[in-house]
Amino acid sequence: MRVLLVEDGAELRRRLSERLTTAGFAVDTVGTAQDARSWPDILQISAIILDLGLPDGDGLELLRFWRARGDRVPILILTARGNWRDKVEGLNAGADDFMVKPVRFEELLARLHALWRRGDGRSPMILDIAGIALDPVARSVSINGTMIELSRKEFGLLHLFMRRAGHILSQTDILEDLYALEAERDHNAIEAHISRLRRKIGKDRIRTLRGLGYRFEK
Amino acid sequence: MRISLTSLRGRFLLSILLWVTIGIGAIWYSAISLFTAHVEDLYHEELEVHVRELAGLTQLDVRGNPRLSRPLSDPRYAVPLSGFYWQVTREGYVTLKSGSMTRGSLDDGIARSPEILHRIEAGPSGPTIAYGAIKKTAGAAPLQFIIATDQRHLQRIISNFTQELSIWLMLLACALIGSGLAIITFGLKPFARLARAITDLHSGKTGQLEGVFPDEIQLVVANLNAYANGNAAIVERGRVQAGNLAHSLRTPLAVTTDEAERMLENDAASKSARVFLAESERMQRQIDYHLARTRSGGSRHGVGLSAKLMDAVPPLIAAMKRLHPSVDFHVKGNASHAPQIACDPEDLSEILSNLLDNAGKWANAVVEIGYELHGDAVDLTVTDDGPGIAPSQYESVFAIGATLDDPRCGSGLGLAIARDIARDYGGDLTLAAARDGGLLARVTIPTPVGRT
Repeated sequence: MRVLLVEDGAELRRRLSERLTTAGFAVDTVGTAQDARSWPDILQISAIILDLGLPDGDGLELLRFWRARGDRVPILILTARGNWRDKVEGLNAGADDFMVKPVRFEELLARLHALWRRGDGRSPMILDIAGIALDPVARSVSINGTMIELSRKEFGLLHLFMRRAGHILSQTDILEDLYALEAERDHNAIEAHISRLRRKIGKDRIRTLRGLGYRFEK
Repeated sequence: MRISLTSLRGRFLLSILLWVTIGIGAIWYSAISLFTAHVEDLYHEELEVHVRELAGLTQLDVRGNPRLSRPLSDPRYAVPLSGFYWQVTREGYVTLKSGSMTRGSLDDGIARSPEILHRIEAGPSGPTIAYGAIKKTAGAAPLQFIIATDQRHLQRIISNFTQELSIWLMLLACALIGSGLAIITFGLKPFARLARAITDLHSGKTGQLEGVFPDEIQLVVANLNAYANGNAAIVERGRVQAGNLAHSLRTPLAVTTDEAERMLENDAASKSARVFLAESERMQRQIDYHLARTRSGGSRHGVGLSAKLMDAVPPLIAAMKRLHPSVDFHVKGNASHAPQIACDPEDLSEILSNLLDNAGKWANAVVEIGYELHGDAVDLTVTDDGPGIAPSQYESVFAIGATLDDPRCGSGLGLAIARDIARDYGGDLTLAAARDGGLLARVTIPTPVGRT
């Protein structure tokens, strides 16, 4: 899953990016409103974490710009402005959630997943499909109650497949979800990750559809 | 009528009453004194003429008795007991008396000098003013001429004058007091306008004292407005600076928190990390609490503060529906009839936001906002259909940083902030059990004295 982090504080930006990457997200970061406004593939972003106090503009204006353009990507405001006026203004401008710095990373993670849950029609936080249970916050996966170990990319891949279970995902879909915009994207690496994932969860779980992509069987 | 010296109207009225009383009293006394003196002078002059006429008409007959060559020209001397009498005596001879003196006689003691003298003495029909003079004759005994007139005639003239004068002066006093009242009313009208302007400012209808006033008051109004604006600017600047300070602290605090969380993963440093995290959270709570308190307009209570419930609630409900999408937030009854609340709109939103967010976290499905107008206060209620809390916890949840053992409790600041703001306005925030088991938070905001 890709997250766009809009934060002007370089140190906090670096730290949050690291933590989100460790948590299995592909993280794109920008430090100015202008860069955020001109972000090229906003439709491929799973969520935006938005700071309001940006050096070249107000985050609320940015939020309104995206919403006015029709972008429905979940947006979580993470700001130093903590009063209710800002919260109400931010939420009514189209933000899906509002958090005041500092936040515990676990809570940020839980709130992000809650946003996606809400967006998916209130699907449960823990995805459980045909005996495979994935907890995105605890970052754990079990098969019929037995915990298994997955690498970061394998976890991200399984999470994507389980969120879109029954749908065909092309390699491009997978690359755009797993890798940040400027990261090196390697089609062969995807095949290798899928191959390893199949070994761990069972090869029949992910079916290859020639010329189309892959499908996680429900 | 009781006149209060604490009011300008009372002071002016008392001054006018005193001035009219003293002025009219002095005029009354002076006029009567002058008139009395004048009338008495005229009286004396007239009767002295009568004495001289009587002396001129008196002759001695061959035996030496006095007789008049003709009656006095004033006919009142012929009317019995008319109060006008004359008498001519010559010791050892017949005494002549006017036809009016049908009884008694006049004391001839006043006639002892060729000069005409007068004095008050008893007469045939009461006290009289007697005039007398003597005229020497060829014999040893001089002629004594006495003219007397009842004092009541003079007193009646003076009394009639006094009565008429008193009536006219009383009418004049009434006219003066009436015009004084009109002047007071006209003169104090700008103060009534000033009072209305202050009431409007007080109730929040206006942001400063508005209206056109006389130069003397306009100067005070201009200074008051300048003072109020300056004061508001200072308060606002302080709020902004406090906000900037808080914002500038939060980002480094976020980095500190992150570093502590990373340290937590290292067993050797986890103890220190927990201390860092706990202290960071404490700092965050303190920042949030004191920033909210700084933003509160409660310190400006009573001056220009007014909030409409229906202006504040819709954006809050819209925001709460995003935060708690499964909960139905609504206002009970017809909110367009909701009264104005004597509270800074920002503060009202802060109070309601905290209560609604708290209720939204706990509600099963419904959060209801209600209002109730008492004589001197407005009650706002926020009710949820959640599990509620035990009465023993009603007070403890207001402690700063107090949270119940549930992640939904957040930082535990919201209720404390909401109650502190309500108390800034002389009101309060209390908790109770809702009818169907949830929690009912009731905020009371009094209406300031002087507002209707």
